[in-house]
Amino acid sequence: MAKILLINPTVREEDVPRHVPYGIALLAAIAMEKGHLVQVYDENAWRQGDETTKAVCVADDWDIIGYGGITTTYASVKRIARIAREYAPQAVQVMGGGLLTSLPREMMSWIPQVDVGCVGEGFITFPEICDMVDRGGREFWDIKGTVSRKPGGGLIMSQMRPLMHDLDSLPFPAWELFPLEEVYFKNSQVLFSEEGMLASRRLDINTSYGCSLICRFCYHLGIAGDMRYEEDENGDLNVAFDQPGTYTRSIRYHSPEYVGALVKHAYDKFNINFIGFLDENLMTMDKFSGRTWMNDICNQWHDLGFAPKANDDGTWTGIHWAGTSHATLCTKEVLKTMREAGCSHLVYGYESFAPHVLKTIGKGATRESNLRSFFWTLEAGIRPVPNQIIGFPNEDFDSIRMNMHAWDDLGIQVKPHFATPYPGSEWFTTYRERISGQYDGDMERFILDLGDASSISAVISHNFNAVELLGLREAMLQLNYRRIDEYEQIWRKNHQIPDGAPSTLLSENMTGAFLRDADKVKSAIKDSERQDAVAETTGAASTH
Amino acid sequence: MSNDVLRGNFQTRDKVEIKQSEETLEDRFEMEAKKRLGGSIAFVSKKKVMWDTDKK
Ligand code: B12
Ligand code: SF4
Repeated sequence: MAKILLINPTVREEDVPRHVPYGIALLAAIAMEKGHLVQVYDENAWRQGDETTKAVCVADDWDIIGYGGITTTYASVKRIARIAREYAPQAVQVMGGGLLTSLPREMMSWIPQVDVGCVGEGFITFPEICDMVDRGGREFWDIKGTVSRKPGGGLIMSQMRPLMHDLDSLPFPAWELFPLEEVYFKNSQVLFSEEGMLASRRLDINTSYGCSLICRFCYHLGIAGDMRYEEDENGDLNVAFDQPGTYTRSIRYHSPEYVGALVKHAYDKFNINFIGFLDENLMTMDKFSGRTWMNDICNQWHDLGFAPKANDDGTWTGIHWAGTSHATLCTKEVLKTMREAGCSHLVYGYESFAPHVLKTIGKGATRESNLRSFFWTLEAGIRPVPNQIIGFPNEDFDSIRMNMHAWDDLGIQVKPHFATPYPGSEWFTTYRERISGQYDGDMERFILDLGDASSISAVISHNFNAVELLGLREAMLQLNYRRIDEYEQIWRKNHQIPDGAPSTLLSENMTGAFLRDADKVKSAIKDSERQDAVAETTGAASTH
Repeated sequence: MSNDVLRGNFQTRDKVEIKQSEETLEDRFEMEAKKRLGGSIAFVSKKKVMWDTDKK
């Protein structure tokens, strides 16, 4: 058996750690089930600094050190890899997660200490890597779903790992290997609803994989059927994700019985009082199952006695829960059923209330379906959490004002995110050159710059630059229509757009279908850059 | 509750314990103040500034 150290890298340092890394907790459980010796160091939870990471690396003779996570763990992962190579040189370093999966070749070159990368789902690939290391083998290219180093230099991507379909055969996550009492339960609170605010022992569960929508800023970690392999111009394999006209998805979910048993396990073992569903979009599963899945999960909640019952003093017994919904896929009936089983709040990625913006983002929602679901959710007694984004490719002054009016009318208090092209998303592929141009051609700097989408990184708006978006967001928050009107006049003058004409640098035939055509967008960006270059040399005003 | 940062299904050769990072009053103040930054809340982060008033 192999001696395995799994390290959860640090993420979102500006906030306290709130989520046990579900993927790593599952991989730890799988490796233990296979008979390996496993330890977890949750660097994100402990936040103890490099000295402790070094001590962990020398605490035993590790055969494998594994780490990975979402894109924004990059800086932490790079640091861990360096420490691990220095303090545990004998260990095979395995990296996985959305970070590696979106850019496997780049990651292997930026982090030379990684011996093997797990591309996409790790449920089968990771234990196969562990077995190979245990047997003394290092021919990782024989294992599907890996990227590894050729003995003579260069990288090999093995065949793509098919997704696992029998999800219920997975063990429950090894929550016990994480500091629940010391760290996570103290940070249980979720300020999205009264019940979330009072949560004191929360655990998260991920009960499905996939989302049927194609939001162009979204990335599904290569575990939602969103990943394909393609040969590049040199004949080398590489990953490919959503592209205009090419969208692939695989919708997979645990049975309601597995979900019930998982929650019961969490309750019996850890006495939880709140569950956060991490699922990308619960409503995709509900629709896909013929409207039975959510209903059956709610029945599990009732049957197991977890549906909350209010006490006279305002507290309750049972387990409240929350998750992610979708404006067009939810129904009035399912929302009511969910509330009766204890659902307290649902996150909606409304993103925008401007029809011309909604048409281009791939959300499958309209202003009307946004409004309808908003009221249905409130009527059901669930708090909708209405997420908003600005800085979309065709964002303009009209869309900005439409959003402000909607917030004003609906009582929405929100600080919108900025449309951010995380690697793996369609807009990362479409705007790749433009993104790298904003970082002097250094894509690694872009990755290091990524954090919450509430701070600005690469801009993909055709109309506004970073400074403008920051200023506009500030004025939006204050519902300061006057300042926005005034700035529009300056903007129009700078761009020679007359009053009355649409407030956009995109012509009428450059919205809708145009923005869904990557080649056209790329050539328009080139054109506008050429014009900018001319403008700069002639001294004319230019924003980009 | 345990002081061990490593958790797993076997005993490691060495134990690694949490370094109790005692939060100082200064740390606590700076963190609380940062949450309310804006308006009349402004402060100097002492760890980031170097000063020597004797230097001419
Ligand atoms: C929990 C979570 C977070 C947590 C991170 C907690 C953590 N330590 O993991 C927090 C709250 C910090 C977070 C923040 C953000 N998130 Co988030 N988050 C999620 C969420 C809801 C669940 C992740 C999860 O557990 N998935 C299920 C497990 C099973 O998958 P997994 O962890 O990827 O693990 C599998 C593989 O990737 C692989 N694997 C993973 N790690 C490792 C390690 C090794 C060694 C190996 C071999 C394999 C391996 O094996 C596992 C099994 O197949 C997902 C949505 C989702 N359902 O996935 C979004 C998601 C990951 N987040 C996303 C986004 C956009 C964000 C934000 C940018 C949003 C924002 N507000 O701005 C921020 C970034 C904040 C910041 N400053 O860093 C995106 C993608 C992000 C990306 N590019 O990587 C997702 C997919 C949601 C979406 N569809 O938009 N997020
Ligand atoms: S609905 Fe949500 S999870 Fe689905 S593609 Fe859009 S942003 Fe991503």
